[in-house]
Amino acid sequence: MPWRSLPGRIAEEARVRPQAPALLWHADEVSYAELHRMAGAAAARLAGLGLGPAEPVAMVAKKSPQAVAVVLACLMLRRPVLLPSAELGAETLAALVDRCGARRLPDPIQLTEGHEEFTFEGDHDPEDVALLLTTSGSTGLPKVVPLTGGAVTRFADWAAEQFGIGPESTVLNYAPLNFDLCLLDIWTTLSRGGCVSLVDQDLAANPAHLLAQYRARPVQVVQGVPMLYQLLTQAAAGDPALVLDGVEHALLTGDAVSARGFEPLPALLPKAVFHNVYGCTETNDSFLHTIDPADPMPYGTVPIGRPIDGVDALVLDEDGVELTGPGRGELVVSTPFQTAGYLDAELDRGVFSERAGTRYYRTGDLVRRHDDGVLTLEGRRDFVVKVRGVRINTAEVETALRSHPAVTEAAVIAVPDELAGTRLHAVVQRAEGGKLNSLTIRQHAAGLLPRVAIPATVELVDTPLPRTGTGKLDRKAVQRRLLQARTDRPDTTASGG
Amino acid sequence: MARTDDIKRYLIDQFLLEVTVEEIDDDFDLLANGVIDSLGLLTLVGWLENTYKLDIDALDIVPDNFRSVASIDAFLGQADPVASGAN
Repeated sequence: MPWRSLPGRIAEEARVRPQAPALLWHADEVSYAELHRMAGAAAARLAGLGLGPAEPVAMVAKKSPQAVAVVLACLMLRRPVLLPSAELGAETLAALVDRCGARRLPDPIQLTEGHEEFTFEGDHDPEDVALLLTTSGSTGLPKVVPLTGGAVTRFADWAAEQFGIGPESTVLNYAPLNFDLCLLDIWTTLSRGGCVSLVDQDLAANPAHLLAQYRARPVQVVQGVPMLYQLLTQAAAGDPALVLDGVEHALLTGDAVSARGFEPLPALLPKAVFHNVYGCTETNDSFLHTIDPADPMPYGTVPIGRPIDGVDALVLDEDGVELTGPGRGELVVSTPFQTAGYLDAELDRGVFSERAGTRYYRTGDLVRRHDDGVLTLEGRRDFVVKVRGVRINTAEVETALRSHPAVTEAAVIAVPDELAGTRLHAVVQRAEGGKLNSLTIRQHAAGLLPRVAIPATVELVDTPLPRTGTGKLDRKAVQRRLLQARTDRPDTTASGG
Repeated sequence: MARTDDIKRYLIDQFLLEVTVEEIDDDFDLLANGVIDSLGLLTLVGWLENTYKLDIDALDIVPDNFRSVASIDAFLGQADPVASGAN
């Protein structure tokens, strides 16, 4: 197939099938013609902003059909668009937009009013940057990840083929608009003439909204973090007859699903094939594992499986030597969908590297390759953990807690949670005479960290935290003590985590 | 016994807060400060329904109704005035 950009394909859908539904938002369908009209209006407004030739724009908005149309307008205009997280504080957001040299756009509702015709002419250079996504850093400025039109299109080609996404498909979009998951849910689907069922971010925790969306238009493809599946399970608990039998592909991603979390899913989604998808913003998806419902955890956990087509993956030992057989090491990957590097090239050092002419990304994930070639995750080489699909550096959370004047020392560990997958637990040593409780320390953390990085549980102690022989904070000992405490108090309920 | 105290006691038990009822301000932002997250919200709603014999409309399960002890209390007040006498 000759090169055809994503916006080019979507414009073609609007021309050929104008009345076909493109988006479902609450109970309303938005047709391809309407989406194209809104994008055209936004494109006309953008053209009138007097932007420099390569000046990026920033769209800071919650998910809505209008917001999708604005991103589409940017894609049509070959205008790189920065999509920051809506969770960022005002200062961080301003610094991020500034770092990108981006112009902040007006509200999508305003931008998409009116009837301006936009004719899509010619096509893009696949090497042009289309999207500026960001990594989910726990502190400081998020790293900006530029993705080219070519990378996004190659991904859409793979995803559409792999999960059978076509004009008859409806795909659930659960993730916020700035997440890389939208490259599948929204952009792959629109490029194939399918319909995207958009979950309202404000109602994302509400099972009734999820069910109403499903009833209005059953979906064939679902992608989400384990918590989405937990919410669907909760929705079904109120209605035992509920079966989501339209779903053909259920993608779990962002975190490891627990045995208890997975157990009810085959009955709830009886016709679905379950996939564990592994990827990150820098490379997009790189590993795929189809889960066997009869044996979902063959190695004690759901595997990440094998590299998807076109992906080159190596397992490196501690000396950086490639492991060719079974064993444990760090995973490095090269994908057809990856970024060329961070916007700030300084950040590439130690993360991207050339090896035999291929540019690889160091994932930081420690994996085990089993005898059958399947990979499982075993942990991190640094302090990064994933909570709800968001990468969090626990060392940075500790620093934030320690910066409270009444805190002497803090240790933050990730603990498995049956419902949420992973949650953070903090053990905080109070300074002598300091007034501190679990609420004031949370409040302090909330001023410095994104919400998902605030520990779910905080344990305050007045005795020093365990140290290793060399005097370093012994987080493993903290973890052991926590497990011991749990065993001693089996009736303790975990927090909402 | 004030209803707000019962709500606080529940929050302390459920979310392992290790504080006293007096230490929770009525206006303390439970969401922004990471006490209640999405799943926690559902657990809380279930408890409110059981405790106050309510049938909370699914569309009312929006975060702003449960942002603080005060907003939960206000929500209960308008959800079902009869329930304000229940304990």
